[in-house]
Amino acid sequence: MNTPLNNVPMAIRSVDLSSTLHAIDDLSKYPACRVYVFLGTRLLGMVDIENARQSISPARLRDAIADQLGWKLSSLLMGDHPYQPELSLIEKNVLARDTAELSRLPASVSVSIALATFDRPEQLRECLAALCKQESPRRIEIVVIDNHPSSGLTPPVVADFPGVVLVSEARQGLAYARNAGFVHSSGDIVIATDDDVIMPPDWVEQLVAPFERSDVGIVTGNVLPRELETEFQYLFEAYGGLGRGFEEFEVGPPWLRASRRRAAPTWKLGATANAAFRASVFRDPKIGLMDEALGPGMPSGVGEDTYLFYKIIKAGYSLVYKPDAYVWHTHRRDRKALRSQIYNYSKGHVAYHLTTLLRNGDKRAVFRLLVELPRTYVKRIIQRLRGHSVYPVSLILLEIRGNLAGPFTLWRSRRRVRREGRSEFPLATDARASRVE
Amino acid sequence: MVDRVKVLEIEVSQPLTGFSGLEGYNSIHGLVRSNGDPVGYIDVPLCNGYCSASAVRAVLLKTYSDKLLQLMLRRNLEAPFADPRNLENIKVADDTGNPVPADNILVTVAVCTRDRAEQLRDCLTSLTRLTYGNVEILIVDNAPGTDETRKLVLSEFPDFRYVVEPRPGLDWARNRAIDEARGEILAYTDDDVLVDPLWVGAMVRVFQDDPAVMAVTGLVAPAEMETGAQRLFERYGGFGRGFRRIWYHVDAASRADPFMHIGAGKFGTGANMAYRRSVFGKIGSFDPALDVGTVTNGGGDLEMFFRVLEEGYTLVYEPTALVWHRHRKTFRELHVQLTNHGVGLYSYFMRSARNYPRRRRDIIRFGLWWFWYWNIRRLLKSYITTPRVPRDLIVAELRGALTGMTRYPKARRRAEQIRAEYGAESTDSTTVGIPEPVRPE
Repeated sequence: MNTPLNNVPMAIRSVDLSSTLHAIDDLSKYPACRVYVFLGTRLLGMVDIENARQSISPARLRDAIADQLGWKLSSLLMGDHPYQPELSLIEKNVLARDTAELSRLPASVSVSIALATFDRPEQLRECLAALCKQESPRRIEIVVIDNHPSSGLTPPVVADFPGVVLVSEARQGLAYARNAGFVHSSGDIVIATDDDVIMPPDWVEQLVAPFERSDVGIVTGNVLPRELETEFQYLFEAYGGLGRGFEEFEVGPPWLRASRRRAAPTWKLGATANAAFRASVFRDPKIGLMDEALGPGMPSGVGEDTYLFYKIIKAGYSLVYKPDAYVWHTHRRDRKALRSQIYNYSKGHVAYHLTTLLRNGDKRAVFRLLVELPRTYVKRIIQRLRGHSVYPVSLILLEIRGNLAGPFTLWRSRRRVRREGRSEFPLATDARASRVE
Repeated sequence: MVDRVKVLEIEVSQPLTGFSGLEGYNSIHGLVRSNGDPVGYIDVPLCNGYCSASAVRAVLLKTYSDKLLQLMLRRNLEAPFADPRNLENIKVADDTGNPVPADNILVTVAVCTRDRAEQLRDCLTSLTRLTYGNVEILIVDNAPGTDETRKLVLSEFPDFRYVVEPRPGLDWARNRAIDEARGEILAYTDDDVLVDPLWVGAMVRVFQDDPAVMAVTGLVAPAEMETGAQRLFERYGGFGRGFRRIWYHVDAASRADPFMHIGAGKFGTGANMAYRRSVFGKIGSFDPALDVGTVTNGGGDLEMFFRVLEEGYTLVYEPTALVWHRHRKTFRELHVQLTNHGVGLYSYFMRSARNYPRRRRDIIRFGLWWFWYWNIRRLLKSYITTPRVPRDLIVAELRGALTGMTRYPKARRRAEQIRAEYGAESTDSTTVGIPEPVRPE
């Protein structure tokens, strides 16, 4: 892991093209800078500038934006160009986003935000503060799920935010916690998020807007790094991070069954650090809640969200990725955290595929695990050795180890779930009965 | 007349035209510009001295569509995207597209020359056409053998300042310009150059935009490609350094490439460079043991680029700051020029290795690598494949490089002698044009 990364720590800044560009100062600590470019609330993309600890003048910023985001901007500029009928047609049909969409979802549709936390009172406070500033015409309910009630760290923070509901889930595991959140939410839409993010004020409105269409079951959003101060945070972004790019997309059941051989890459659809669900899907017998045997806090690592996406899309709903609904996530700073995160992702990836195989009989998982995965590793190692990537081989080996551990950890997780019991909707229709107010 | 190439400018904000009446030329080498910003070169063949507008357009679009679009965006980003769907809202600063900087900064343009009155006349004529108004033009006549230059300036360009620098050597002349200049910014050019009207304005814009910038270099395009030697020099690499604006800054604390700024030739050339005058107070003036007129025959400009970056200041390459250079016309002159390149480059390495002990290892390593990569490897390759340039030019540069490794100490002794001979500061200056030269503070 002694990769020479010249551009760490990296400063994170954002600029808005709808106002005058100013120089970016106070970069004396940073050899490089990542600038997120907005046009009003719309997030166009990002540019990286190697500024060598100097401030960045507006001219340099302009050059970088024109060079790295040129095509994106040109589609905006050319939109109504009278001499370019073909171009404007492409723009209208392919590139344009309907801005009126935001206001269409009736204000009567209520929203619950289920926030899972595990002993991080400081970050939780920041997150709750950001949530309380949401601008929305609809009723917003905030439910905090304390996944470690015996520590007593969470309740004092929640007490400072009147109206926020606290739910305790003593069974450890993020899937248990999220399920508790889904069960205790009363909104028509449930948004799942974590304690280590903060969000802009229009986040809820951006995220729920696509639910105006009845076929949409899930909306995921972009996750941006709040800081890239250490090499490990940078590597986590290089590993793929949690964001899924700046382009909107949607997938549905045909996408899931597009190939008979290859598993549909549900892990590229987003993460539950920033995802919204139609609340009714959890009572759908074909879908249900999250699989408790997957996810952080369990031996199997991750995969609870991808498996939930899988089930929901399989049941006939579509998923919309909405890059404008973004949150800023604080990646963990140290090497140990990065390694354990990557290890967990690798375990979880295998666990997820085995789950689709065992529960849904999806045989494509076999091809994925036995053919595709080994092939990607070989490719990536060759790439690294040729110097085409900065991702260290030691981490690739770690991923392989995680993959090998996957089946065993899934078995252990399942045993634990059998012991501790599954999450269920309470029999009483009033979900509020078991709440700790 | 075989294989003559016509050098032209093609401004895309004007309607494209064909070219005719160029009998005797084989093709055109056009510098494409978009509202003054250089985009790149296109080569279009001529038939009986003629090519059509559609031929030019076809080559242009094929080569530079992306680049033109990018330039348009860059310009549009200068105003906020208030309503991005409305092109009318985007203001363009003036009809050339570049916001004309407020002329509140006085720029001194220094032209160092020696006994080349004919070429100098063209150069000075081009300097009268600058769009930037607040300039002072200073001709430094370096150890003149005749008084042609003096007569030329006095009779035809009475508004320009003329000083004589008796100490022979280009860097003595450049240092004299530092002493004489009144402008906050000091731009250098040579007597074999025609400057573009936007030249000074583009440089000033970079200096204004970012107070940390201490040096700006610009694009050097060929003024003509009439002879084989001139075409060959362009093919050899020429003086141009591309069409993108580049910011250079050495970050001492980072683990980035330590060799980044040692190959100083990539930053530009002395025919087109400008400095904030205050920087010389901080890092010293040009080394008179280097450059034309001494035994080292070059390297003074490279050494200054290196020093600016090594001392932690920022240098910007701005292609819009454009000058047109008359390359040497005969093979013999080209031969001499390339030998001198070799001598100058390695003299600069020796000088920097001597003055920056902590960088010595890096400089020696880079120097050896460059010697292998540029001088030896190309020579060996020329025996295996058809070389891009004649082998004798490669050999000339190699000989220059070998000479350059030994010349600096001698040049330094000579500079010391001159200093002793003329006193620390030359006093017998002759200033005409503007009376009462105000000494810089």
